[in-house]
Amino acid sequence: MTREPVIQLEQVRKSYGEGAGTTQVLRGVSLEVPRGELIALVGQSGSGKSTLLNIVGGLDKADGGNVRVLGHDYRSTSEPELARLRNKKIGFVFQAFNLLDHLTCLGNVTLPASFAAGARDVVRRGQAALGRVGLGDFAHRKPSELSGGQKQRVAIARALFNEPELLLCDEPTGNLDSATGHEVIEFFRELNEKDGVTLMIVTHERRMSTIARRVITMRDGQIVEGDQAGDEDTGGPA
Amino acid sequence: MPARNLWQMVLGNAVRSPRHFVFSAIGVVIGIGAFVFFLAGVLKVQGVLYSIFPLEEVEVIAPHTSIAGKNLSQKLTQETVDLIKTRPEVREALPRMTLQFPAVGFGKFEGQDIRFEVGGFTDGIPHSVVADDPKIADRFLDGDAEGKIGPACEPERGKDACPDRAWQYCDKVDRMCHMRVPVIVSPTVLELYNTQVAESHGLPHIGAMEQFIAERGRERMHFTIGLGDTMVAGSNVAVSAKHREVGAILIGISRKAKRVGLTVPLGYVERWNREFAGEDKAKQFSSIIVTLRDKDRLATFTTWLQEEPKLKLEDSLGEQFGTVVFVITIVLLAISFVIVGISAINIAHNFFMQVTERRREIGVLRAVGASQRDVLMIVLGEAAVIGLVSGVLGSAAAFLGSLLVDWASAALVPAFPFKPRSWFDFEWWIFALAVGFSVLFCVVGGWLPARKAAQMEPAAALAQT
Ligand SMILES: Nc1ncnc2c1ncn2[C@@H]1O[C@H](COP(=O)(O)OP(=O)(O)O)[C@@H](O)[C@H]1O
Ligand SMILES: [Mg+2]
Repeated sequence: MTREPVIQLEQVRKSYGEGAGTTQVLRGVSLEVPRGELIALVGQSGSGKSTLLNIVGGLDKADGGNVRVLGHDYRSTSEPELARLRNKKIGFVFQAFNLLDHLTCLGNVTLPASFAAGARDVVRRGQAALGRVGLGDFAHRKPSELSGGQKQRVAIARALFNEPELLLCDEPTGNLDSATGHEVIEFFRELNEKDGVTLMIVTHERRMSTIARRVITMRDGQIVEGDQAGDEDTGGPA
Repeated sequence: MPARNLWQMVLGNAVRSPRHFVFSAIGVVIGIGAFVFFLAGVLKVQGVLYSIFPLEEVEVIAPHTSIAGKNLSQKLTQETVDLIKTRPEVREALPRMTLQFPAVGFGKFEGQDIRFEVGGFTDGIPHSVVADDPKIADRFLDGDAEGKIGPACEPERGKDACPDRAWQYCDKVDRMCHMRVPVIVSPTVLELYNTQVAESHGLPHIGAMEQFIAERGRERMHFTIGLGDTMVAGSNVAVSAKHREVGAILIGISRKAKRVGLTVPLGYVERWNREFAGEDKAKQFSSIIVTLRDKDRLATFTTWLQEEPKLKLEDSLGEQFGTVVFVITIVLLAISFVIVGISAINIAHNFFMQVTERRREIGVLRAVGASQRDVLMIVLGEAAVIGLVSGVLGSAAAFLGSLLVDWASAALVPAFPFKPRSWFDFEWWIFALAVGFSVLFCVVGGWLPARKAAQMEPAAALAQT
């Protein structure tokens, strides 16, 4: 079980639109990510990084090829099963934070518990997750009262609430100033090293490339593999 | 998604955007309010109607047919009654006979002289019709037929002529004491008296007849019937006997009594018709009141009746009213349903907009583990909560509206027969039905938006725009 790669992609294809307006976004992406990996996914805007991440997380469907994540073959995984997988084992962090403004920080962090049968200790675990990102005192604040960095930390706490095995981050530092961004990057490194969480991070951050064990560069819907891919990344904002 | 969590989330979402909530709910509140208001009103009208026109009773008459001016109408006789009685669905068939010659009632009531037309407005019915009414049964007797005549008396002595002042009168023709003719009237007559006569003539309002008699005495109920007499000036109806007077006494109220007029024991009408209108009229019933074993067997009976050329069903006023009320009911309920239906479309529209506005939120829910079904249930749940609240508010609004109408009716509308104290009959099931419909319509309205929300691709929902 532990031997099996966390992510296995074989010739994954994805296109949007129909007929003449079809855009080929992924043109046969193959990739294996072993457990405990920290992967930085880089590449120019529009190269298909977010699409790839969404397909791995089951938020989007591949048109062709095989997707196997945490032992689940997505072709034979039902929609509710996929939802349960996201609920229990996969965490998401987005560039735009995606917190729900009408809920408190604690409410946002414990949101995954709403969809789990028999969730226990919800408040305590929510508090612990907030404490972990250094926002223990912010439980009853609303997201609108927080700074961007704090918001992203709440979002990370939400992603960590169910102690996922895989964390998928789409430009998590894209909306943060560089100091705050570095804090977040440091947090991810720790998470990977201490807790063994597998991370796949779409980023433009050069620093991310230095902490990543592996950097994968995408261009026009294909992986251009290489550890020194950082050189090719011209780093325009997405 | 556990039901408790769903419920919590739905309630949280419902209170979160009051504007959306109000816009979605307002139409349903109005529609459901109208529904409850109309239904309770119609129910009341039906109740009143059925208390006036019993459903399991029908009246059979002989059809009027004439060819070349010659009256060929069939006649209702004892044989007809016996024939009807052979029908299995018939429990009882009782003849009525109308007074077939002019007659006038007169007397003093509360110090005022009153006179009223009696001929044609008086029916005779057999004792068995009122046998089940203990207030009337003991008194609704044909004293003359029972031979309770005497002793001899002097009519000149007036009230003191006979030993039983309350129940006897001294007949001017045979100078003997007779039992007064017992008379019953219908609740309609009492209502007409109370609402039309009493007030304008300064006469006392009669609530319960028995109480009135107990307070004022039997003798207040005395009056005289002038047989062969008429109030209609210049009337030249041939009367084959000399005018004479009999004493009468009003003994009570009965639904079995002629709706507008007086009702006396059948024997009197038979004898008086024979005396004043001839033997023929003494054997001819005006109608036969048929009581069915069950009101549902009316159709069977009607079918049989149609095959009997000699008989037909009196066009029942109750049935006509019933039909009118039924049609009005359908129209009003249809209006309510149209309002609620439009509201459901409005809800669908609002929810479609909401789902578009909330696509990112829905995407977030999917990302943290909501299944399509969870999203569907959340949106439907919100629609159901709107339905629930609207149903309750609509019912409450209808109830408040009814209080207003009843107040206005009491304060502004003059009394009329059978004017109810309340125009509404709020049964608990009306409210249950209203809330049920409200929830149902809202859920139906929310169905397509909920499906759209559930089928949204989470990646697309989360995409930055
Ligand atoms: N839902 C969608 N519908 C149509 N085109 C899309 C959609 N999502 C992404 N695309 C297109 O796919 C391409 C790759 O997008 P994306 O994966 O977001 O790239 P990246 O994250 O590398 O910038 C872009 O050209 C984008 O316009
Ligand atoms: Mg992107």
